[in-house]
Amino acid sequence: MRKSLVVFICLLLVSFAGLQTVAIAKDPAEKTGRITVIVTPVFNSHPLKLATQYYVNSNGDTLYVDLFRFYMTDFGLTDTHSGKSFQCKDSNHLIDAEEPASTTFTLDVPPGEYSDLSFIVGVDSIYNTNGANSGDLDPVKGMYWAWNSGYIMAKLEGHSHVCKTLHEAFEFHIGGYAPPYNAARGVTLDLPKPIDVKSGSNTTIRIKANAAAWFNGNIDLSIVNDIVIPGREASMMADNYAQMFSVGE
Amino acid sequence: MVFVFIIVCTLGFDIKPGDVKFVVPPGWPKPVYKLNKNKLTDEGFKLGRKLFYDPILSLDGSTSCASCHTQWSGFTHVDHGVSHGINGLKGKRNSLTLFNLAWNKSFMWDGGINNLEVQPLGPMGNPVEMGTTLENVVKKLDTAKGYRARFYLAFGDSTVTGQHVLKAMAQFLVMLESFNSKYDKYTRNETGGEMSPQELSGLKLFRARCETCHKEPLFTNNGFENIGLTVDRQLWDYGRMAITNDPNDSLKFKVPSLRNIVNSYPYMHDGRFKTLMQVLDHYTDGIVQSRTLAKELRTPMILTPDDKKDIIAFLQTLTDKDFLFDMRFRDWRD
Repeated sequence: MRKSLVVFICLLLVSFAGLQTVAIAKDPAEKTGRITVIVTPVFNSHPLKLATQYYVNSNGDTLYVDLFRFYMTDFGLTDTHSGKSFQCKDSNHLIDAEEPASTTFTLDVPPGEYSDLSFIVGVDSIYNTNGANSGDLDPVKGMYWAWNSGYIMAKLEGHSHVCKTLHEAFEFHIGGYAPPYNAARGVTLDLPKPIDVKSGSNTTIRIKANAAAWFNGNIDLSIVNDIVIPGREASMMADNYAQMFSVGE
Repeated sequence: MVFVFIIVCTLGFDIKPGDVKFVVPPGWPKPVYKLNKNKLTDEGFKLGRKLFYDPILSLDGSTSCASCHTQWSGFTHVDHGVSHGINGLKGKRNSLTLFNLAWNKSFMWDGGINNLEVQPLGPMGNPVEMGTTLENVVKKLDTAKGYRARFYLAFGDSTVTGQHVLKAMAQFLVMLESFNSKYDKYTRNETGGEMSPQELSGLKLFRARCETCHKEPLFTNNGFENIGLTVDRQLWDYGRMAITNDPNDSLKFKVPSLRNIVNSYPYMHDGRFKTLMQVLDHYTDGIVQSRTLAKELRTPMILTPDDKKDIIAFLQTLTDKDFLFDMRFRDWRD
């Protein structure tokens, strides 16, 4: 009787231990898969080199790019089967052409087949009004206006002989969240082939950010070379650079 | 008594449990600032207070927030029309008082700053005020004596981040509350709230002429108005229009709170009036008509000299000594 009790208790303990092992294996993090996003700044078909390489824009103007930084925030993916969109929490990233580490980041996504990737180029109004944010949204990053609260959504700085400005510089600090000149833009990129995300998988999506798109519609640098406040001009520039993203090497 | 005071100071009187607590006075509107997103703690408040008084926040270590915001004047720069920052450089606007900030919908004379947490970025980055960047401040604090430990105590992380600098300062600033003036005690029927006949006459006149903009209990409606001041021909300051680019905002400036008004001279966005009598004289005789002039001021305000004295007597009841001498807001050098 006592022996079978001992055996029974041992079996009970073993089965409990077994349950514990199963409980640990069901860690929520394992349920998601990972998407690695690599953003490559380019100027048309060339990789973007800061300061040392000249480029020619659609208006025929020769220019150099000294600084290229922009926010990609609020990432989402659409599941091809359910049609539902999954929004990634706290997916706010500042891409800086001068900081290679900033051009790669990850998104944790539940298993599914996804056909597109969406994000905001810029920062949603809620972050522009709720005070001091953290990480890439920290005002310490130099992408926040002190005198007229709000994020600078994207910056492009450089110089060109056609600019009759100090040091022939052009400076685009595009921001503003108040209607009708909210400079944030939603972008949806169709993936060339759907991504199949499984628990624990890791897939890479490569995105190009083409600085040349800023000059779409033949922006004439001799006239348009200094936009540093919210408004109609900034909003127009945002319409341009919202077109700068494409999926691919 | 002085001896005891000195002893108390040297013993390091500091924040006692319960000292850091935000109060919504009875009958006041709901605060605008979201306190649940920046939980007030003793350590957060003390860190914010230390930052407020530390000139390390300026480029050359000469200027702190307190340089232009001294407690006993209601946290403004008393006797200064416009303030001076690093290198003695002068700005173009008068330092605003700091109290009841949790109820502000916007900050600065032109309302360009939309959240208490990001207000310090303005003076910090202004070349004629503190002349630096948040990035520089974070770098300095990361190596300055005693700060990393304080950030750890306040936020559970010794890494100094821009966000934590700003949130700590907001914890200090939000605690600056003024609601115990003689006027307040009068409205609450408390001892110390006994108003003289002249003060009551002033209150009655105030309610008839000034209430629309200087609305009780905050003594501001959080709005922006053109009150007929001539534009200064050297500063050419058009106020809120610089922020909104809306011509309807030309010459409009923030309606400031009138609490502690006696201690916070000079008055107006550029400090052009040194006395309250000059302010009232402006309202009766000095208003310049323009397209954006406040509609309440389009017909001249009529106040007799005695009316003006009564109003000034009432305004004196807005002085809140509890706030002006509150030990929690002092520079404890801790």
